[in-house]
Amino acid sequence: MSGHKHNEPESDIALRVKAMEQLLTEKGIVETNAIDLVADYFENKVGPRNGARVVARAWCDADYKARLLADASPAIAELGYSGLQGEDMVVLENTPQVHNVIVCTLCSCYPWPVLGLPPTWYKSPPYRARIVREPRAVLAEFGLEVADDVEVRVWDSSAEIRYMVLPMAPEESAGKSEEELVDLVSRDGMIGVAAH
Amino acid sequence: MGELTAERLAQIIEAGHSHRREGDGSEPRFDEGQTVRTINHHPSGHTRLPRYAMGRTGTVVRNQGIFAFAHTNARGEGECPQYCYAVRFKGSELWGNAAHEQDAVILDLWESYLETP
Repeated sequence: MSGHKHNEPESDIALRVKAMEQLLTEKGIVETNAIDLVADYFENKVGPRNGARVVARAWCDADYKARLLADASPAIAELGYSGLQGEDMVVLENTPQVHNVIVCTLCSCYPWPVLGLPPTWYKSPPYRARIVREPRAVLAEFGLEVADDVEVRVWDSSAEIRYMVLPMAPEESAGKSEEELVDLVSRDGMIGVAAH
Repeated sequence: MGELTAERLAQIIEAGHSHRREGDGSEPRFDEGQTVRTINHHPSGHTRLPRYAMGRTGTVVRNQGIFAFAHTNARGEGECPQYCYAVRFKGSELWGNAAHEQDAVILDLWESYLETP
């Protein structure tokens, strides 16, 4: 057909995913609808906006914050977030004396219901190797300078607990509503590589 | 094993799949605040004791409860449920003089990985 232009070939990863999907469905291991459901879940249902709502509530409501720090999973479920990879949560409170940051050095464990899927750098060997060994240098590369007298605690998710950081409320949070506070909370703040 | 349906998967995502287990009534071997040392073994295959933390001394900061032991479970050797503890290691214990004196790494470690120094 004259004038027909071929598209660029698909990337290796796209082709690999298609091949995997075809094998899983043709062999009757996974229903096609199940794959669509997972894609929809991660694209539309979970993500750092959920965690930001938890943080904003904790900033506004001292009783909620106390429940969240004492037993995180039920407190997070109060806002409607629970399920796979959020079954056994612990929330780590940043204070003027302690800065917390999370990692999974063995793989890529991450609290899906509140943060969604991890960013690529979180899964990368350099982040996983360096954050435990030289956390201050890594945090500085993210633009976060931690004072010498502040303790840096790196939490390596080596078992079944999934962690999330509760950042300190920034100065600009004063006088804002809970809904406005949600916009001040970033994914990186809840991983611990940003201030909030 | 039957086909994984969307309905079943939705249930798993919603309900989760916790590895927390009921205990057999036995007491935890370690208390919060206690000094512990990780075992120094280098198994081939699945482990949840990272190499950088083998044979190191730390402090129990939290008893996380009883969980199926991923080390044996992943090898098809059974769940062997046991207490799991958050253990705090000073940076200098793991990385020597290179570490900042205010750095610490906390790992969740099952009882089988820990001994009394």
